[in-house]
Amino acid sequence: MRKKYFTMIMLFLLPAFLFGCASQEANELTVDRKDAVIIALPSTAEPEAGFDPVYGWGAGEHVHEPLLQSTLTVTNEDLTIGYDLATDMEVSANGLSWRVDIRNDVYFTNGDRLTAKDVAFTYNTVKKLSTVNDFTMLDYTEAINDTQVIFHLNKPYAIWPYSMANVGIVPEKNYNSGYGLNPVGSGRYRLVQWDKGQQVILEANENYYGEIPKMKRVIIVFMNEAAAYTAVKANQVDLAYTVASYADNGAQGYHLLRAATVDNRGLNLPAIPFDGTKGNDVTSDLALRQAINIGIDRQALIENVLYGYGQAAYSVCDAMPWFNEASVVAYDLAAANALLDDAGWQKGADGIRQKEAVLAQLNIIYPADDSLRQAIAAEVANQLQNLGIKATYEGVGWDSAYERAQRDVLVWGWGAHTPMEMYNIYHRAPQDDLAIYSPYANETADQLMDQALTADSLEHSFVLWQEAQALVNEDIPWVWLANVEHLYWCRDGLQIPSQKIHPHGHGWSIVNNVDKWSWSE
Amino acid sequence: MSNILKLTLYQLGRLVSLLFFVSLATFALVSFSPVDPLQANLGQSTLGALSAEQIERLKIYWGVGIPFWERYFAWIGGFLQGDLGISLLYRREVSIVLQEKLANSLWLMTAAWVISGFLGILLGIIAGSKEHSLLGRLINCCGLIMTSVPTFWLALLLLVIFALWLGWLPIGLSVPIGLESTAVTWADRLRHGILPILTLSLTGISSIAFHTREKMIAVMNSDYVLFAKARGDSLWRIIRRHGLRNILLPTVTLQFAAISEIFGGSVLIEQVFSYPGLGQAAVKAGLGGDVPLLLGITMISAILVFSGNMIANILYGCLDPRMRHQWQKAGRQ
Repeated sequence: MRKKYFTMIMLFLLPAFLFGCASQEANELTVDRKDAVIIALPSTAEPEAGFDPVYGWGAGEHVHEPLLQSTLTVTNEDLTIGYDLATDMEVSANGLSWRVDIRNDVYFTNGDRLTAKDVAFTYNTVKKLSTVNDFTMLDYTEAINDTQVIFHLNKPYAIWPYSMANVGIVPEKNYNSGYGLNPVGSGRYRLVQWDKGQQVILEANENYYGEIPKMKRVIIVFMNEAAAYTAVKANQVDLAYTVASYADNGAQGYHLLRAATVDNRGLNLPAIPFDGTKGNDVTSDLALRQAINIGIDRQALIENVLYGYGQAAYSVCDAMPWFNEASVVAYDLAAANALLDDAGWQKGADGIRQKEAVLAQLNIIYPADDSLRQAIAAEVANQLQNLGIKATYEGVGWDSAYERAQRDVLVWGWGAHTPMEMYNIYHRAPQDDLAIYSPYANETADQLMDQALTADSLEHSFVLWQEAQALVNEDIPWVWLANVEHLYWCRDGLQIPSQKIHPHGHGWSIVNNVDKWSWSE
Repeated sequence: MSNILKLTLYQLGRLVSLLFFVSLATFALVSFSPVDPLQANLGQSTLGALSAEQIERLKIYWGVGIPFWERYFAWIGGFLQGDLGISLLYRREVSIVLQEKLANSLWLMTAAWVISGFLGILLGIIAGSKEHSLLGRLINCCGLIMTSVPTFWLALLLLVIFALWLGWLPIGLSVPIGLESTAVTWADRLRHGILPILTLSLTGISSIAFHTREKMIAVMNSDYVLFAKARGDSLWRIIRRHGLRNILLPTVTLQFAAISEIFGGSVLIEQVFSYPGLGQAAVKAGLGGDVPLLLGITMISAILVFSGNMIANILYGCLDPRMRHQWQKAGRQ
């Protein structure tokens, strides 16, 4: 009897073991490893709607080069503007129309030539359908001839070249609702295969008008943190994203790659007294806000929370061309306490400061699903004790976070390759006398930012952004803490040239220059 | 003939009303859920770079602020005409997305369901008929461990052992990394399915084994088994003649009800093994506020679970002549 059971169980399990043992070698990749690379990116990096620039491929939370398509402009390593398809551009005196000349030697991978018509079609379609690209300032786009296109704007928008860096050009003839699945572009790579929910395989475009990619085949798999780590441990990928908490536990044959970012974390400090719905009686005190700005030890925070993998942040746009370097402040606890003493914040018996009837007490909130921001909230609360400020911290859902931030301090994450972010944070919201995310208003700074948008050149607009920033820095309606470095496990021997500063979000930025990667012998 | 027709109509009516209420409940839950689709899909920093005008446009796309009833009627109107709508996230027809995901998930779940059912019943019978033997205790003990182990933890454990240490099996995905689909063989797919199937079936085995064991013990302690033993029947003969017949009904009920558990388990498993199935899609649709896709997945799972129970109902008649007679009698009246 027993023999029978045994046989039955064995019959059942045998195939599993046979398969396990038999196909060990099938794991290995069959392509030539000399010019191929396998990269693990987060599952969230997979574009659900496909590789369609109209629906946000390349844009959005995490701006990156679309690879499969060409853009008119590109952002350089220092985030200034360079040319991709464009050869020249000029803005009219009233700032309302942009003329852009484009190359005449560019072909889509299906053999058709890319003309100004395709550019006009792309922008008009993006304007009509787009999800994450903001093209409300664009009226319409027209092609003058094959190599010249004119953008007609509703209002002057000096940073238009940054918007042009986000939109991959699609062919008018081949564009339809299924484009995202079968993209035809003129970029450095073409899409060979997309196994939805798993991986994409890209192949070098040998007819590319620029430098032909060195890396001929790029395979990107989408995995969560733990799976990407397992993939590294199992030696199955060449590069995998990771987070600081894994960084001390490397795998044989891999090293840690640290990418500088503008992926910042910061706190809003409501700048008006509590009026029943908005504002905060503690943070509405200017001296207290200034004291927090210089009284927080950013380096200690980075060591404690980010395991050292970060850079101190002093603005929402550190190291961007529109960043004002005067934003950098030195950590000075004594000066911070002196500021508070002078402003009339007296220490009580329990060490907590008080000014008239107001107790120096804050509640720092953070999105409950974000462990990093939770750790930052805890660290800040801890450090604020040194200033005599009592702080508690509390996790909240995103449904209430925005509304709560109108009166509480929230741990935010920003970092975009456009000054519009700074504009939306500090500038008063349309039809409102306060900024949208945290109550604050500075009329002179607003005027400077409006002027920056209507400036006659990018260089001039950078100066105006910086001037606006200088004014904001006197008010400290936000305090910026750290830029989180993006970390990757990189197989030894994989050569990755220096990268432009990554924006918020761990994603495709790392492959912006994958065409220039190589394997050392 | 009219009997079968009546039964079919009755079941069909039940299915329709079930689908109606499930869809209504899902819609209501989604409407009350605190998930803000804009925040969830675009992220806080994207929203920061958008103008208020663009945010308004996006709110309309994601259906933010449109009354619950209006959205529901629009959806059900399409559903009745066989149109599941267009997924807001994937921007393709929900039916196509569902097909893709089902193709990945269905064989996984079916295999796990069959294996867990087969092994569960087998082990339950052994453990029940030899309650006090070493083997019986061992099965009992393993079953208890399996019930207490969280599914995702077991998945991680198997992953570490078979994929990382032994290197026998792939670390995830449903196809080999970097291989073009024309070169992918069924053996590749099978290999990639082994760990998810193994995890899913292991966690499913214990409940079915325990119930079978319980019933088997009751049978073994009955007078008729005592009589059979006294008559000198062998254990196998007792199991076949008395055991199997008695345990079959509850076991069939349980096994078909387990479809919903397998479905739920696959959500966790697919996360661990980066497996692109229905479970992952359900999570994405739910967290991303993709109402049409979520509704589509909910409907599919409701139909699957309902069919499971219905098949169990029909099987009762085949397995148990007493029930068959009862139904026939009821039909005649």
